[in-house]
Amino acid sequence: MSIKPVKLVIIAGKKGRVTVKYPFQEPVVTSEFRGEIEIDPAKCIGCGACVRACPPNALELLESEKETILRYFVGRCIFCWRCVDVCPVSAIKGTKNFELATDKFTDLYTLIVHTRVICELCGTPAETVKMQRYITEKVPISEEYITTCPTCRKKQFVEKVATRMVGFSELKK
Amino acid sequence: MPNPEAVTKYIELAEKNSGVIHIEGDTVHIMVPSSKLVDVADAVFNKYNCSFRVCAGIDERPINGHFSLVHLFTDDKAGYYVAIKTYLSGDNPVAPSIVSVVPAADWCEMEARDLVGIEFTGREVYKLVLPLWWPSNLHPLRKDVPYNYRPELRIESEKIGSSSEYGVIPLGPYHPTLHEPEYFELYVEGERIVDVKYRGFHVHRGIEKLAESRMSYQQINFLAERICGICGFVHSTCYALAVEKAAKLDVPERAQFIRSIVLEVERIHSHLLWLGVAFHLLGYDAGFMHVWRARERVMWLAELLTGSRKTYGINLIGGVRRDINEDKKQKALEALRELYKDFKSLVEVALSVPQVKRRLTGTGVLPREDAIKLSVEGPTARASGINKDARRDLPYAAYKYASFRVPVYSEGDNLARALVRVDETFESMSIIEQLLDKLPSGPVLLSDFEIPEGRVGVQVVEAPRGGDIHYVVTGRGAPYRWRVRAPTYANIPALRVMLRDQPLADAPITIASIDPCFSCTDRVVVVRDGKVEKIKLIPVV
Amino acid sequence: MSLKSSILKKSIWVFHLNTGSCNACDIEILDALTPYHDAERFGVKLVVSPRHADVILLTGPITAESLPKVLNAIEAAPRPRIIVALGSCGSGGGIWHDTYSTIGGVNKLLEILKERGIEVDAVYYVPGCPIRPEALLYAVAMIKGIVSKKREMKIYRAD
Repeated sequence: MSIKPVKLVIIAGKKGRVTVKYPFQEPVVTSEFRGEIEIDPAKCIGCGACVRACPPNALELLESEKETILRYFVGRCIFCWRCVDVCPVSAIKGTKNFELATDKFTDLYTLIVHTRVICELCGTPAETVKMQRYITEKVPISEEYITTCPTCRKKQFVEKVATRMVGFSELKK
Repeated sequence: MPNPEAVTKYIELAEKNSGVIHIEGDTVHIMVPSSKLVDVADAVFNKYNCSFRVCAGIDERPINGHFSLVHLFTDDKAGYYVAIKTYLSGDNPVAPSIVSVVPAADWCEMEARDLVGIEFTGREVYKLVLPLWWPSNLHPLRKDVPYNYRPELRIESEKIGSSSEYGVIPLGPYHPTLHEPEYFELYVEGERIVDVKYRGFHVHRGIEKLAESRMSYQQINFLAERICGICGFVHSTCYALAVEKAAKLDVPERAQFIRSIVLEVERIHSHLLWLGVAFHLLGYDAGFMHVWRARERVMWLAELLTGSRKTYGINLIGGVRRDINEDKKQKALEALRELYKDFKSLVEVALSVPQVKRRLTGTGVLPREDAIKLSVEGPTARASGINKDARRDLPYAAYKYASFRVPVYSEGDNLARALVRVDETFESMSIIEQLLDKLPSGPVLLSDFEIPEGRVGVQVVEAPRGGDIHYVVTGRGAPYRWRVRAPTYANIPALRVMLRDQPLADAPITIASIDPCFSCTDRVVVVRDGKVEKIKLIPVV
Repeated sequence: MSLKSSILKKSIWVFHLNTGSCNACDIEILDALTPYHDAERFGVKLVVSPRHADVILLTGPITAESLPKVLNAIEAAPRPRIIVALGSCGSGGGIWHDTYSTIGGVNKLLEILKERGIEVDAVYYVPGCPIRPEALLYAVAMIKGIVSKKREMKIYRAD
């Protein structure tokens, strides 16, 4: 009769107890672990780059008349941190947090509310105020284009060019 | 490496059958008219001894008004991929079936019929992928059907069958021995299994259609990783390699090394998982707990190298997102040394326990000729004497820089399959040490590149269960067509032969010995074992 | 509900219900029973039939093919029924929340259950992809009342 199976008991005895008694003890988490993300509302400009990069649509941009809301739904997040990679202002930071269980569905949302720029000429809302400020800091744009929406901007630009080239006032007659 | 002289026989074959041939890298593209399809498939499979991998139906009506059908083979001895394509009419696509000459092509033809709507002549047809109540004129993979269109849900399930001569045992979809929902209906005579009916596809999530519509190239890496939670990195790497091959990108060498290292870490974790589950199914729970205790260190190692215990998420087209610095390398080597000592003493003891050894020896035998005809993959093939491994035959990533042995046994029973996996685990540890030693310096991610439209890329990667194949046709911003075939799909027909005349108690361990991963697969298999009848496929209607 | 709190002070027997997931969350559930994490400290045991279950662990975005069988299994569980939706697929439908073959996560399932008159007493959501075994133990500890929840809805103004 083989006594080899008994050797397993000896192996078990040598290893001893290996249980990590979570939650009464710290769990084993390495330095590289990807947990929840944290968005800094002061830095976020509401551009939507993270929304376009997110595979499960956990980050969404909800637009209304006056406001744009960036909504992070941690329930659908796959913790890939692509949003951390692509954010142009580095507003998204990763944490090691994985203790996210809850019994209320609305606990899983984080909302960041931005105000939108309202076009002076036609009154439709355009991009967010902070994104406009971000763009104008990088690229000089003249005053009259800043306060208008893209459609009106196009119309203004075409009129200007047409006036200079053909004499638009002549055409109007 | 591909052998250039081997290509001449394909050139002759194409000319004889009025086809057009085009060779790009290591892929041979042959386009033939649909009337010659069966002859060409017969020559490639039976005369030149290629392995059949998958067939894919493509809706090309927005481009040229036709449907098309592609059959993918690999010439393992010469190192070539062979893609045989035929065009079908745009209004009523009908193709001849190649099941009579290539028995392994049964299911993928039915999948093309369900999802793309191509009809096949010369064979029995049945509904495979979609639920039985799905409207028969709605084919989700056609380009005019949106990806999120859901027909009205019908909540009704099939009734359990009844038989007057045999006892009926319904197994599943939720059962303690199964991790995934799958429904087996066992017809038994006393203790002997006589017939099996199987209804799968509970895990069909619409991945291929999703990739063509809502996603972009870089996002699909994360989608591919979640096809299967146990061998996910294989799918993600295979997709990235296929797109890089199609776009002819020059990926940095360091990234390929890191991909190979993480692939081997995944192989170790998957084989240890299988061993634990096999012990559990045999009733040897002490072995299960010990093996999973040893496996926990591999999960910590994976988390250290990639950032997550599973679904690593480090692959992008053009390279990887994380690097391995000196500190991680030392920790990895130390973890492997400890695992080696632990696992070696453990597996010697565990495999010599009488209840394990006697139940594994001589059960579930798969003879070599059947294995070749059904094109089985992975440890199932290597345990039956077939010397096939995509890491050595069609080298990819950094495997050409590592030297390793491919274990082959010839008995073909459950014990042989277990021993193949144990040997492969030790070989993987050696491969990781060699690659960590030879890691070259340089960047890990390619930044500036473009992916042109209309190119084709095929790639096979050796998963823990066998060869996994991805077929990509590039489009604008997202692939035009992406076809995935996981290895378990090719191994399940072998269950027909392995379950023949087995007592009921040996069925769970035999089914588990091919390491089925139904979330990769979702296929139908039927076994009939009569006393004098031959084995034949019976469709589930 | 007082019946629920008195029952859950003792051991919790769980039934694992896979509605079409990729299996990563499922092997982490098995991992929670192995020596390093040892869920049996809380009295957690995997049962073979939903009729013995206190808590149903749901993984996967419920697919169209598996929906009738999931409804049968949940109906078979006795009151009080508690569902713990695990992972990104369970809580929100996952990366495939809007394809033709899935119904979109556990909230849609709760609507269908309500239509059929099957009552569910509590639902817990555990995000993660896949969940860590420690996250599952955290949820079990929360059900038993040992720890309190940390995640709350946050609204910020960016200007």
